[in-house]
Amino acid sequence: MTADGTEGGRGESIDTSAGPRVGIPITCTINRTPIEAVVESRRTLADFIRDELGLTGTHLGCEHGVCGACTIVLDGRAVRSCLMLAAQADRTEIPTIEGLADGDELHPIQQAMHDTHGFQCAFCAPGFLMTAVALLETNPSPTTEEIRREMSGNLCRCTGYRTILDGVERAVGLMADGMKEEGDE
Amino acid sequence: MSSRSGLGGFVGTSVKRVEDQRLLTGRGTYLADVRVEGCLDAAFLRSPYPHAEIASIDVAAACALSGVHAVFTGADIERLTNPFLPFSMMTNLYTPLHYALSKDRVRMVGDPVAIVVAESRYIAEDALDLIEVDYEELPPVGTIATALDPTSTPLWKRAGGNVLYDDNAEHGDVDEVFTRADHVFTETFSCPRQSNQPMETRGTLVEVDAGTGELTVHSATQSSHMLRWLLAAYTERRSVLDSAKSFARNKQRRAGLLAGARSFLSESADDLKKQDNSGMFAQVRKEPSTLPHMFRTALGVAGKERFPTVVAKDIGGGFGAKGAVAREDVALAAAAIELGRSVRWVEDRVENLLDGGHAREEEMTLSMAVDDDGTIRGLKVDVVLDQGAYPSTPVAGAMIMQMMRVMWPGSYRMEAFAQRSRIVATNKGKYVAYRGPWANETWTRERMVNVVARRLGMSQAEIRLKNIMGAEDFPTAMVTGPTVDETMSTRKTLERALELADLDSFERAKADAAAEGRYLGVGIANYPEAAPGPPNYWDSLSPGSGVFLRQTARATVARDGSVEVRTPQMPHGQSHETTYAQIAADELGVGIEDVTVVYGDTSRTPFDLLGTGGSRGGPVGGGAVRKAGRSLRGEILDAAADLLEASVDDLEIKNGSVHVSGVPARGVALADVAASVVGDDAAADSLAFDVSESYTSAGDGGWSTATHVCWVDVDLDTGQVTIPRYLVVEDCGPVINPAIVDGQVRGGVAQGVGAVLFERVAYDDDGGMRSTTYLDYEMPTSMEVPDIEIEHLETLSPGENDFRGVGEGGMIGAPAAITNAIEDALSEFDVTVREQYLPPSRILELAGVITPD
Repeated sequence: MTADGTEGGRGESIDTSAGPRVGIPITCTINRTPIEAVVESRRTLADFIRDELGLTGTHLGCEHGVCGACTIVLDGRAVRSCLMLAAQADRTEIPTIEGLADGDELHPIQQAMHDTHGFQCAFCAPGFLMTAVALLETNPSPTTEEIRREMSGNLCRCTGYRTILDGVERAVGLMADGMKEEGDE
Repeated sequence: MSSRSGLGGFVGTSVKRVEDQRLLTGRGTYLADVRVEGCLDAAFLRSPYPHAEIASIDVAAACALSGVHAVFTGADIERLTNPFLPFSMMTNLYTPLHYALSKDRVRMVGDPVAIVVAESRYIAEDALDLIEVDYEELPPVGTIATALDPTSTPLWKRAGGNVLYDDNAEHGDVDEVFTRADHVFTETFSCPRQSNQPMETRGTLVEVDAGTGELTVHSATQSSHMLRWLLAAYTERRSVLDSAKSFARNKQRRAGLLAGARSFLSESADDLKKQDNSGMFAQVRKEPSTLPHMFRTALGVAGKERFPTVVAKDIGGGFGAKGAVAREDVALAAAAIELGRSVRWVEDRVENLLDGGHAREEEMTLSMAVDDDGTIRGLKVDVVLDQGAYPSTPVAGAMIMQMMRVMWPGSYRMEAFAQRSRIVATNKGKYVAYRGPWANETWTRERMVNVVARRLGMSQAEIRLKNIMGAEDFPTAMVTGPTVDETMSTRKTLERALELADLDSFERAKADAAAEGRYLGVGIANYPEAAPGPPNYWDSLSPGSGVFLRQTARATVARDGSVEVRTPQMPHGQSHETTYAQIAADELGVGIEDVTVVYGDTSRTPFDLLGTGGSRGGPVGGGAVRKAGRSLRGEILDAAADLLEASVDDLEIKNGSVHVSGVPARGVALADVAASVVGDDAAADSLAFDVSESYTSAGDGGWSTATHVCWVDVDLDTGQVTIPRYLVVEDCGPVINPAIVDGQVRGGVAQGVGAVLFERVAYDDDGGMRSTTYLDYEMPTSMEVPDIEIEHLETLSPGENDFRGVGEGGMIGAPAAITNAIEDALSEFDVTVREQYLPPSRILELAGVITPD
């Protein structure tokens, strides 16, 4: 595990003789779709996801790792895609905001945020949602205080956070109900 | 989605947001998400110096870099564009003319001096490093004090110093009141530079149609029509003769282009005639080029063959900053036109912190005349506003200064008011409107009221109750001009807040805490907000400003029964798609899901000057939607009456069908009514009904009000301030969507918390910029924003449209309530809080725990 939250693992066929613009081959899985690409060494993961894969739901708010708008889930952990290079995403599994809903069926975290009027301009929403997804995967029943703390790495300028925290809390309930229903079936 | 389809009664309920299905799934289209085939990327080279002459600039190496298409400098931009021109020419105001890029001199860190257009942003930014600029530094003007010093180096040679505006206003008999009052108390307050900081930065993509050359401008703007017209004006650099020829040649085309604005202009003729251009003479005397530039620009617009179409989709917040037309937008458009290629600029956060919009840096001295019994008699203010280097367009410091002047007395009875207003130029980023741009009047007034109360031995509640207008005063007028009716319900919000606050038990808790060495405090603040205010509020600012009380809405029904509402409002977080659908659905008896709200695209929306801004979305834009919806309903009923062979008076619309009241079986679906008008064979989207209504907010009121109460716990070991409780009692009249209003209030208060405890655009005294990342410009997170209790009062007003604005209020009240609470907490140290920004170090200084540097 490196400082930026990745598992490491670089492409095996880096040709260092060909100058700085050499492409680095990577394979990864994004929203359950296998991706094979050759990426410029300096390209950030966020730019790769947005510009080369066309998944523009991942937003760039500050590009220096503070605001959290670009948060994705990488191998189960919430990471800032603006601080990672695409080359570092080799052999990883990445869900982005586009991978949450199942067709028109919202993911419980999305449904919950809709129910609580979670966001306003919603530019920060993808980052908050992915942070919450990572949180609930590792801790399905966080306390109110844990939610407040875990979500404090993402900035929102519109809401004052209350409705976002309410949304996470509601999602905890919805997901627990969903699991119960699955168990009942 | 709501299941209340077609039942009416949407207004007043927390209908869930229509926007969410798109925005929560990552399918929104913010500016950076717009994809245009073959689009190039731009990057700006910016000055590292606050103040310098440009001796030379060499772009050859940058141009030679593979992947770079062009580099434009200030010299190119002066050739290709018109300068930014004065928007209001008030008496004693000097507005410096300036171009999109700086050519000879830079006036702030971040001043754009060149634009690189390249295959990608990566390459464009590589090229920036290859541009050689030779700067010769000038003495910087980094503070208000330096700017007021007549020996400081003028930013603008023709301004005659760095004071760009110096004006005095008096209302009532000021000398008499101040001579006869028992006391005059005076304090000086300062507010540091703050920044709007929407989570989405600015950005624009100018799309050029390779075949026709027509421009489609995608932009993160609060005002798409304003952007369209100003881009048209500022990129039309032609000789007067050429423009005149074109004007003569293109009559027909011009008629079509102006059509959108023509009805607006004719409806607003009276207001436009009243405009105050009394400062024109002084402006022209100082800057003779103003006239030829204005003439050439105006004639250029008149003769212009093709206007750009502006399209704005999802906007990631603005808080006023995106109401400004940016210098970068003009440079970008000029580059795109010159290259014949689509070009995009997405601002990065460093640029945004440098010049994406700064606000509220003011120094204010208040003198309040009061009698022994606490009666406030009058107020004198001396305010200096630090506008930074380049005035913002269209709303610059002078207009905001007028808002402060008119609002300073707030809801208190006062016999006299005087203000000296100065605007200074400094080597800093531009000053823009930020959520309640005039709010320092509330901050200083409410601070001053507390200072006075303490000196007279009164409580902060007592002095307010004694002086605040109430039912017995209405109708009346503020001493500064605007009429006041019962919508100025500030007293009601105060009384309700005091009931909820239970200050007596707090005083006991405070005493108990003090015994344990903890410092608790409570602060009250109240204010009215012109939301939108009466017409004479706007005229009191500057004659003719009543034009901002008018907006148009267009409502249509297509053959398939679908309803569209088109608005010139430009939502950027306020949820217009939901609230306007609520209003229209109630008028038309259809479901929320049957209504589509159309905005942002100048080819599809009615003309307006300001788009979204000034808390007008509910009262003005919403009033227009209701009026258009009502007219549309009339037309639908007329057509249905023929079909149903019934009297219009007997018909109602429910669940998307028109039927005879009480006889649901005798009805006809809206789609069938529409088809009866355009014919069954018409295309699904052909319009059967098409109504445009212009709405002008009128009456003696139109005020929103609130009282904020803040409780703080100040830790003198760390200097940290926590907010265990925060209460807002607000009155914006009938609420369209309570959850959305609550969100606006909370978000505003959160920005106020940031302003007092965390946020400061930090310049050193020499104009050096120290807050260029979010590690330096700190905004509150979920750990710092308190839970906020909100109670709504809903005072009705006599007017036809009773919605009132609420978007700005949270931010207006919060800094005053929080700083009042902090002063209360530190009362045993006999502290007077004179600064709005109180980080832990300053708290410790005030309490005498540490010594100031």
